Amino acid sequence: MTRNDPIKHFFIWPALLIVLLISIFPLVYSLTTSFMSMRLVPPTPARFVGFGNYIDLLQNPRFWHVAGTTTLIAFISVGLQYVIGLSVALALNSKVPGEGIFRVSFLLPMLVAPVAVALIARQVLNPTMGPLNELMSALGFPNLPFLTQTSWALGSIIAVEVWQWTPFVILMLLAGLQTLPDDVYEAAALENATPWQQFRDITFPMLLPISVAVVFIRLIESYKIIDTVFVMTGGGPGISTETLTLFAYQEGFKKFNLGYTSALSFLFLIVITVIGLVYLAVLKPYLEKHK
Amino acid sequence: MSVRTLKGKRRWLALGGCLIWLAITFFPLYWVLITSFKTPIAVVGGPTYLPFVDFEPSLTAWSELLSGQRGQFFNTFWASTIIGLSASVAATFIGAMAAYALVRFTFRFRLLSALIFVVIAFGGFLLGRHVLGYGQGISLIYSFVAALALAVISSRFRLPGPELGNNDIVFWFVSQRMFPPIVAAFALYLMYTEMGKLGFKLVDSYIGLTFAYIAFSLPIVIWLMRDFFEALPVEVEEAAMVDNVPSWRIFFGIVLPMSKPGLIATFMITLAFVWNEFLFALFLTNSKWQTLPILVAGQNSQRGDEWWAISAAALVAIIPMMVMAGLLSRLMRSGLLLGAIK
Repeated sequence: MTRNDPIKHFFIWPALLIVLLISIFPLVYSLTTSFMSMRLVPPTPARFVGFGNYIDLLQNPRFWHVAGTTTLIAFISVGLQYVIGLSVALALNSKVPGEGIFRVSFLLPMLVAPVAVALIARQVLNPTMGPLNELMSALGFPNLPFLTQTSWALGSIIAVEVWQWTPFVILMLLAGLQTLPDDVYEAAALENATPWQQFRDITFPMLLPISVAVVFIRLIESYKIIDTVFVMTGGGPGISTETLTLFAYQEGFKKFNLGYTSALSFLFLIVITVIGLVYLAVLKPYLEKHK
Repeated sequence: MSVRTLKGKRRWLALGGCLIWLAITFFPLYWVLITSFKTPIAVVGGPTYLPFVDFEPSLTAWSELLSGQRGQFFNTFWASTIIGLSASVAATFIGAMAAYALVRFTFRFRLLSALIFVVIAFGGFLLGRHVLGYGQGISLIYSFVAALALAVISSRFRLPGPELGNNDIVFWFVSQRMFPPIVAAFALYLMYTEMGKLGFKLVDSYIGLTFAYIAFSLPIVIWLMRDFFEALPVEVEEAAMVDNVPSWRIFFGIVLPMSKPGLIATFMITLAFVWNEFLFALFLTNSKWQTLPILVAGQNSQRGDEWWAISAAALVAIIPMMVMAGLLSRLMRSGLLLGAIK
């Protein structure tokens, strides 16, 4: 039961004010800027250009390339995170020996600063001093250009994302697995259902709502990736690993092209919203079927 | 012994998989740890794995780092600690109050009032800036105050249009996490610069970055704390209400002490986010209040490949969070997050 008391305003207004001031109001400001041509260096006075910045961006092949790269990184890494995360969560939930130790240590990567993760990755992937290349040489591969060739660099960024964020998937799915009722499994065991049948017909469908939420959160977060790319490749070689946030940073802080950058961030917002809505619309029938 | 427990060969297969993942998790962390104890020559000479066996550990990197030879390390560490702690304490407190209000009190307002806020804020800014010719900072302040006042006043009248309630407010708060932070970070940088021209220094200042982090953490605090408060038994509060204890005393005297585990866990999760945050710090600081992630990222470009020094710097940023991971996992086991993901 909720109650009514004037003191409620005292409770909610601090949070409301801060979010309005720090997140919503900048959006209003940035939206107005996105319709203007405005530069800090060299300083040019603001001039209304309507959708000019947006049209420029949509005609810029670099924007499409960057959006494609970000999508590629996000989808592949989230897919891998989900597969690995679900397997590990299933193993932990079925009381693998040493489950307690695994549970604590699997959390670690999530709490390491992404910048530090990227620096560690650069060391491990280093062509001359890195252990990974030594391992590869021992297995008979040539010296691999992990960060200097486009496809390897993309692969390395994806691997780092998977390393860092699979723990989050494990954590959430494990919590979800523990809420599943035991009696369904007992009934299945009586019917002599194989473990695979149990997984396909009970665990996976019942876990679907949480899976959808976890993948959704990870997808949205992956689209914002900048720290790891910034440190690992700086967007290179060329612009082949540049992501949307990094592109916006380059335009805004290297060129101080304010209107253009604001328009870019709003296009980014639109891209994320569309992806979110499409994702939820596609999955809705499945979710309702299993309710 | 539940029916879901694996048996026989499958059990060993699962253990093998987990061990492989454990190795993948730990190897990079082990690597950075041993590299920080290597001498420059040992690093350049190719990969070595075991201290005392195939390389002689040395404390050079650490002593250089801690003696301040490597730039403003202590300042940055303190800046990170002060901003991280104060922003997480403030966000947990403010967010807990809001979450409590959203669980226990009834809020109703019309969609039209919210629209009034957006329209007045937007139009007022354009009007002040381009028609009346005020500076950007002044127009921002005027339009914000006017928009807020009109939205609050308008909510007192019976406006037409759909009515919104608590769940809509929660959704609105949580949806803030969906925004790409670059949208807010860049606009915030511009706004802070305008405020700087009016004499309020917000770029590279304690207040500026702390407020940004509080706003950035509030959605997650409200999300976590709301589920926690919902799980609390309402009877205690009802008993206190019968005795005419005022709401603020119920909150501070009964509810907050009861929800201590939730508050601690939320505080730690917030601290981890703020401690590792990169983008806002990159935009909003340049020297005095620079935080660790920026310094660590800078080690990379400025000094080339001095891996021993980079490793030590990265470890300083990592170790406090490792300690937190240990503490957090104890709380996790008590099922704190179960409520949050429902």
